[in-house]
Amino acid sequence: MTRRRVGLFLTEEEKFDVIIVGAGPAGSACAYILAREGKSVLVIERGDTPGAKNVTGGRLYTYALELLDQGLHEEAALERKVIREQIMMLSGDRAITIDYHDPSFNEEGRPPMSYTILRGVFDEWLAGKAEEMGAMVACGIRVDELIERDGRIVGVVAGEDEMYADVVIAADGVNSFMAQRAGLIEDIKAETVAVGIKEVIELPAKTIEERFNLREGQGAARLILGCTEGIHGGGFLYTNKDSISLGCVFMPEEAGQKKKSVHEIFQDVKMHPSIYPLIEGGETIEYGAHLVSEAGFRGIPKKLFREGFLMVGDAAGFVINTGYSIRGIDLAIVSGIAAARAVIGAEGTAAAGPLYMEELKKIKLLPTMQAQDGFSDILETAWLYDKVPDLAADVFENLFTVTGEVPGSVKKDVMRLIRSNDLSAWQFIKLGFKGMRAL
Amino acid sequence: MSKVVACYKWVADEADLRIDADLSVDFSRVKGKISDYDKNAIAEAVNIATAWGEKAVGLTFGTAKAKQSVKDALSRGLEEGYWINADEAADADGAAVAKALAAVIQRIDDVGLVVCAEGASDTFARQVPSRIGAVLDWPVVTSVMKIEIAGNGLMTVRRLDDCMQTVKVQLPAVIAVLPEINTPPIPGLKAVMAAAKKPVHEFKGGDLGINFTPKTKAVEFKGYVMARKNVIFKEGEAADKVRELAAALRKEGVL
Repeated sequence: MTRRRVGLFLTEEEKFDVIIVGAGPAGSACAYILAREGKSVLVIERGDTPGAKNVTGGRLYTYALELLDQGLHEEAALERKVIREQIMMLSGDRAITIDYHDPSFNEEGRPPMSYTILRGVFDEWLAGKAEEMGAMVACGIRVDELIERDGRIVGVVAGEDEMYADVVIAADGVNSFMAQRAGLIEDIKAETVAVGIKEVIELPAKTIEERFNLREGQGAARLILGCTEGIHGGGFLYTNKDSISLGCVFMPEEAGQKKKSVHEIFQDVKMHPSIYPLIEGGETIEYGAHLVSEAGFRGIPKKLFREGFLMVGDAAGFVINTGYSIRGIDLAIVSGIAAARAVIGAEGTAAAGPLYMEELKKIKLLPTMQAQDGFSDILETAWLYDKVPDLAADVFENLFTVTGEVPGSVKKDVMRLIRSNDLSAWQFIKLGFKGMRAL
Repeated sequence: MSKVVACYKWVADEADLRIDADLSVDFSRVKGKISDYDKNAIAEAVNIATAWGEKAVGLTFGTAKAKQSVKDALSRGLEEGYWINADEAADADGAAVAKALAAVIQRIDDVGLVVCAEGASDTFARQVPSRIGAVLDWPVVTSVMKIEIAGNGLMTVRRLDDCMQTVKVQLPAVIAVLPEINTPPIPGLKAVMAAAKKPVHEFKGGDLGINFTPKTKAVEFKGYVMARKNVIFKEGEAADKVRELAAALRKEGVL
């Protein structure tokens, strides 16, 4: 790999090949490749440090880092490799936890499948790597406006300063201000986003390993259903080196109709008899809230580019929520790589946009999102968020209850429990069909 | 006219400090920053240099970690960065810091003015400006809240306990400024970008020929918890409660 530092100021002082707005995973990955391939790149970040504005829960699928540069995960600022995939269902004070452990996800000689990460640390590291490649990262600067000439985006305005580039890349996250200014998206619609809140709770590494049955360096990733008082949404829990990221995601419209605030509901989750022992004695060292894109493939804006302008990462709506896992950080990195490839490969600014769409397909991002689009239909099912966890807990209660009485027929009991939860077998059949059709 | 040197300190960001249950202070998550008051000193140095049509440069003394301060300092309008890299900086006292800074000030051509903050936002010992003046044998004006250019010198206004003192000072001089002297501007995009290409000069502590052995030593560093009396006056009418409160405050010597 050859590294060429670009004399940014040798030519025009105020013109770059590419300006990237946002130093998250998408922006920094894009800058990394562009700078490595000899492009002059300016990354403008609003936070005082990259990752300072981030609230993401924190799991990175390693393939994306490998795609950026082989072996990069070995030096990356990562927390724990995920060896336990867990799904938890809460119903009142009851809980069911499914724990999937698959050693093949973490075989020797191959990069582990995924790591938990803390974005404040990871984003700063990745931006630093882009800087090492020769990109310039300017932090603490907010971009206020795009500069447009003859229908083409040619630069940005930040405060009193104007800066020009052949291509401006919007990597400024969900509800992208840049994409709005470019006229490619409208202001957010309540049904396409959720509001996520998260705490980082500090605990000694040993305590975390004991509570989650892990060894040193190993981690767990857990999604939680039934913790949102019936609101469309769910919870997540990731084990970091010496902290736990615990959070909840809610659809804002439904949350607005509840008497309890999302903060109060989250507090109840923390105090749940099956959650509290995991975080007991810990200290909250970070608290944050943010919007999360929820619409999946259908939430991707119709157009992801204009001449001189591309959208990557969350700004382009690249998030997949299947209900059992959430992906966003890997898609952000991959889309950043695709954008960089398009800029490098394009002859003239007009060609970069269409080429970007080609690269997004080639790098399997759009096909992946399309393939998992059906999950949005399934996750629209309202009774998934309260009645299903209730029913599951009722069934387990039925199975595990031993009183010395003659047990009833399991089949009959289950049917009775389905009815007592205001559900019908027919609803499950319909959901099954929906699922089959969707996936 | 001649160059203006702004001295600043790379300190722990107090927002990241954690005080544990045993009152020990946890520095493990602490990031560095330019001491808040030093941002005023830098801004004032830049203002004066601009008025003079001269250059303002930055100077800091710290461990290897202080290197990351230079880019930030340069984005604030300073033209060149000087930094002294010394492991001894970790436990240096005011005398050692002043000696190191003065040694480099003497190595910079044609310095007419040194601007410091009254104290650093971490220790606020208020030692360094006066001691730099002592080493260089230059006049020192402290607690300065206003500076005006007056011919070949400066007219300064010092804020004292209950009055203002106007002091005229000849150059070269050392001035320690108070935070109210200005509002440091937040660096813009071009300023941040320009900082990356400004000259940076590094000095090794060992090359300055200074004995850094501190004569004062921090023996302990401990958090404190404000002890509250937790007295609540809840009995009786409002007027009685107020009377009781006033009596209690008087007893404490607060009123």
